[in-house]
Amino acid sequence: MPPRIRGGSCQPQLLLNFLEPLPSSSLSPSAALAIPLHRPTASSSSSSSSSSQCSRAFSTTPAPQASRLRRKFKEWCENNAPLFREPNEGGRTNYVSRILKTSDFNDVTPDQPFPNNPHFRSEKVLSERAREKIWETVMEKGMPLKAVSAQYHVDMRRVAAVVRMKQIEKRWERENKPMALPYARAIVDMLPRANLTIHEKPFESINDIHVHSYTTQQLFVPASESREFTRADAAKAFGDRILPPDAKMRIPELVEMEKEIAGGMDPHTARAGFVKRAAQSEHDFAAKQKARLQAAEARRTRVDTGRFEFRFEKFNAEDVGPTGRSRSAVGWRYGMPLMDRKRGAVKIPTSVE
Amino acid sequence: MKQRRLLRFHGLKRPRVRQTWNKYNLFNLLRLRTPLLQNKTFFQQKWIGKSMTRGYHGEHIKEYQWERMFSRRPLSTVNMDPAYMARNDGSEQATGRGSGRLLKQRGRPGEKGTEDGSTKRTPYMQMVFAPMERRLDISVFRALFASSARQARQFVLHGAVTVNGKKMTYPGYLLNPGDMFQVDVERVMAATGKPKRGSRDQKALPTTATESAEGEEADAEGAVTEAAEGAEEAVDAAAADAAKEKHMAALKDIKQRAQKFMLVKSAHVRAKQKKSLRKLLQDVKTAMASAQKPSDPSSLSEMNEVERELTALVSQLTINSNQAKKDESARRKQEQEGSSSTTTTNSLGLLTDKQRLVLRWMMRGEAENPHDASKPYATPWKPRDWMSPFAFIPRYLEVNQRICAAVYLRHPVARAGLSEVPTPFSPQLSQLAFNWYLRRG
Repeated sequence: MPPRIRGGSCQPQLLLNFLEPLPSSSLSPSAALAIPLHRPTASSSSSSSSSSQCSRAFSTTPAPQASRLRRKFKEWCENNAPLFREPNEGGRTNYVSRILKTSDFNDVTPDQPFPNNPHFRSEKVLSERAREKIWETVMEKGMPLKAVSAQYHVDMRRVAAVVRMKQIEKRWERENKPMALPYARAIVDMLPRANLTIHEKPFESINDIHVHSYTTQQLFVPASESREFTRADAAKAFGDRILPPDAKMRIPELVEMEKEIAGGMDPHTARAGFVKRAAQSEHDFAAKQKARLQAAEARRTRVDTGRFEFRFEKFNAEDVGPTGRSRSAVGWRYGMPLMDRKRGAVKIPTSVE
Repeated sequence: MKQRRLLRFHGLKRPRVRQTWNKYNLFNLLRLRTPLLQNKTFFQQKWIGKSMTRGYHGEHIKEYQWERMFSRRPLSTVNMDPAYMARNDGSEQATGRGSGRLLKQRGRPGEKGTEDGSTKRTPYMQMVFAPMERRLDISVFRALFASSARQARQFVLHGAVTVNGKKMTYPGYLLNPGDMFQVDVERVMAATGKPKRGSRDQKALPTTATESAEGEEADAEGAVTEAAEGAEEAVDAAAADAAKEKHMAALKDIKQRAQKFMLVKSAHVRAKQKKSLRKLLQDVKTAMASAQKPSDPSSLSEMNEVERELTALVSQLTINSNQAKKDESARRKQEQEGSSSTTTTNSLGLLTDKQRLVLRWMMRGEAENPHDASKPYATPWKPRDWMSPFAFIPRYLEVNQRICAAVYLRHPVARAGLSEVPTPFSPQLSQLAFNWYLRRG
């Protein structure tokens, strides 16, 4: 909200106008004529910024005073401008926890941007060096993503994202496209950073598994005392389709490696085996993906007319499901309205390829 | 879509914390307390919780739209330790009297993240507005590309945002994990940089009137030379004369240096030096103009003269102690650069080592962040006032600030002791809001 224009010091000008019409309003009235003000001095002192020009010289209505809150706010702004107006010196974070040590009867930690919410912390972001490091290990050394993720303790999806955006950045560099370099430097300076060195704490947990809502309930499953009730049994007890955590691990090769180490294998050898297996699994995945695309392409016939490319695929018009409303069904069907352009239906795309 | 009115958006009387980087908002955030709810009915409590939280989370989104997005099942994750999983198959948790042996519970997988040994709860109730964070406009704001959620929404509507390389004009597009969104670099710089008018006024305040007038003069000059630059570049491209290009590059370089001293070091440069610098700038301009003409024998000698003058001027300047820090960083940078930098510094034979370093540092800084009157924000670019208290990037986003792009990695999740939804409200208040929305879930 913009600060309201206050006419705190306009009153003498008004009086002056009343007594003697002046051609210009540049004359400072309080200096020329020592007229006592009819208002408390608090407002006139706070509104020194608007004293140079009178905004309502013709009006006889007294201007509204700054409220108590507004005065407090102004005072706060003046006191805290050195702290919060500019980013913190030395590339540290600058959250309100600098001045607020307790809120809602709870302690406020330095990495807490919102003093009332102890559960949200400003966590570290990857520094420019760290991103470069990740890009080099993936693109130049050719390490598999899983191995990079395990090495730096960075989530696999994040590794992929870093590489993806770094590729674009490199392309822009080659094309001499203008980048937001001062912005990037300033922002990264304001945030807590991780350089992915050995001495730092692990950046994030890389073995997160999703908590299925079926598994949040309490179950009573009778089992004999002699029975080995493992994680797989527990998953089966929660539901037929619930997977055990071992099957949900993002990097199952890590568990294999740990098993080998627990079995007495040399850690270095185990790690080499892990990298090999990770590379193999990624290779297999890529091959599978490629085969899928090729199969899809084989089903399709492309006819290029120069202006358009027609793509033909085989469809069975009778294959519309038991109710005739199957999602994969094609073509117009009697009694089945097309909903795609109906009023009230959401037309925002749900995905972008 | 018709927007809600913005009257008293950052009011002081009935304060609401908003998704902006405003100083009023900062003041309100500091004053924010969980209200006393003991003497309220449960309905009133829920109402208060809902109205306070909705004032922050997508206040520009209509209530029925949010109600359709709300999910009563917040997402959460558990970190499983592979070393633990390799050594145990889960049956150890049924040993003892049926809930695991009591002697050492160090290795329980779900409680691994706790360092002090106490079990931390998963703050599910802070995840009420997790579906909102999936929206494109709010993600753009969270990636620090816009100064408010409403501005981010405007970016999307005005076609400045692409998702996976395609223009997306729906602010309500729900990002899927793996989607990359990218905002126009200029828009981001304008949104997060200092505004043009305001910063000029603030700079003029502490200095004297003459100095500010000089600054304006230099600006005007800069604009003129920019125009000349544009013309010069066009001619150069046509001519493709290598020697001339070299001259032009040198002249441009000198001009930039002179401008640098005019603008940045104005506090340290004496009036006489400034005067000569201005004259020098004029000379460079005329030299550039003359060099554009096809037949010009005098350009080389003129350039040499100009360069000599500048180096003499620069050597007159003394480096004061407050630039020692700059020196250090410059030296570090030069060490990284290695041999390539020595050739350029050798061309300025008259400077001392320290001065050379400072000059290099400044030149690089200006090349990255130049003064440019044509930009809609104050140049050289600086982050806007009161921004840093709001600067954080949640973990579900991975941002590359250089290209103003970000990847939505996954949906925000809760884990032991932490929730990834940035909400300024206490868990009690969020829980009340959650209960309000459960009503029609």
